[in-house]
This record gives sequence, structure tokens and C-alpha cells, in this order.
Amino acid sequence: MKIEQLLKRVELFNTLDDADLEAVAALCSQRVLDAGEVLAVQEEPGTELFIIADGLVEVVVQRQGAPRVVVNLGSGQLIGEMSLIDRGLRSATVRVIQTPTVIYAIRYRDLQNLCEYNTRIGYRVMRNLAADLSFKLRQHHWSGG
Amino acid sequence: MDVWKISYVVNDSRQPGGITNLDHAPVVGERFSVGGKQLEILEVLELVPPRGPFHYMHVTCRIVDDAKGDA
Repeated sequence: MKIEQLLKRVELFNTLDDADLEAVAALCSQRVLDAGEVLAVQEEPGTELFIIADGLVEVVVQRQGAPRVVVNLGSGQLIGEMSLIDRGLRSATVRVIQTPTVIYAIRYRDLQNLCEYNTRIGYRVMRNLAADLSFKLRQHHWSGG
Repeated sequence: MDVWKISYVVNDSRQPGGITNLDHAPVVGERFSVGGKQLEILEVLELVPPRGPFHYMHVTCRIVDDAKGDA
């Protein structure tokens, strides 16, 4: 599958046209990961947004006591979107739990530059990002979190 | 080419829920695999109205344990 076709199935890029998706696709680098590999580490800085093309990861949070898996994320989902927005440290550790898991990585700086250069893309991406965060909050509520 | 973004919870407190995309609308009784586990959908709710080709659903599932004749 061409990456543009995959990106059409990712909510972050909802309503982008084909030319916009080509611009986003040019920023993406593919990685194929095995179960056990770690994509992000809680309390460490991040520089990339990840999109799960295929596979499964677990999101692990450690506050006090033992680490706890708070959610699993599958195809089409984002990782690292919070740090993209607030520039804070990673809020959780993200570990691959299915082999293979295929992800696309986009450097924050590259996506921010594209959004500032093309504000139509920027508006849509930021709106979709807000919707994604809202959905995750609803999922958190429904899961009793 | 619609996409169903689903939030799922599992009727078992040991299992975390999750979020994933499906290429079809989830229906009660349907089974799908996540991380090597078979889940059966018990309930489907629309979380928010669709936007373009994206539909937003919440489903409650149970783990199907074929080894116990639960298939």
C-alpha cells in the first residue's frame, strides 16, 4: 500500500487532499519493529510523532508502584501527539507487543514546519489532533480510568 | 473507504482496553483479534457523530477462550 493510501486512513490527516498527503508522506520514515522494542520512554524527551500502520503497542504508565498498562493502540493510532503539542516529556512508555509492528515516524520539527508553511494543512492537522485527544479522553472515561 | 475508529474495553479488569481502526462497522457478536487474543463484541455504541469517512465507536468485549469450549 502506498503511504498516501495509508495516511488517508489516519484521522490526523482527515480532509487533506492528495497533494497535501504527498507533502506529509515525504516527511514519513517507515520502521518495522518486533515485540519488546520500545518506541518511547516515560519522562524522556521526544522528537517524533509515530503512526501505527499495522500492529499493536501497549502504553505503560508508572506513577507510584508497579508500571501499569493503561491502553493498547492498534492500526491508525498516534503516539507522541502530546509532546508535539505541549513539548513536554513523554507521558508514558510505549512498547511494541506484536511482531511485526509497522510504524511511520515524523519529526516534530518537520510537521510543525509544514503546518506553518501551509496553514490550510496546519489548521486541519491541529483540528484532527484535538479530535484524537478528545477521543482518547473519552476512551479513558469509558474504560473507568 | 470508511474507517471505524473504535475504543474497546474488555470485561476483565486485568485486560487494558484499547483503540484501533477497523475497515468495517463493528457488530455485536463479531470476533476480532488483538495482540493474540480473540475478543467478542458484546455492545456497540456510537461515541460521537462521524466526521467525513471516520466513524467513532465504543465497544465492550469479552475474551473468547476457545480452550474452554467457548467458541
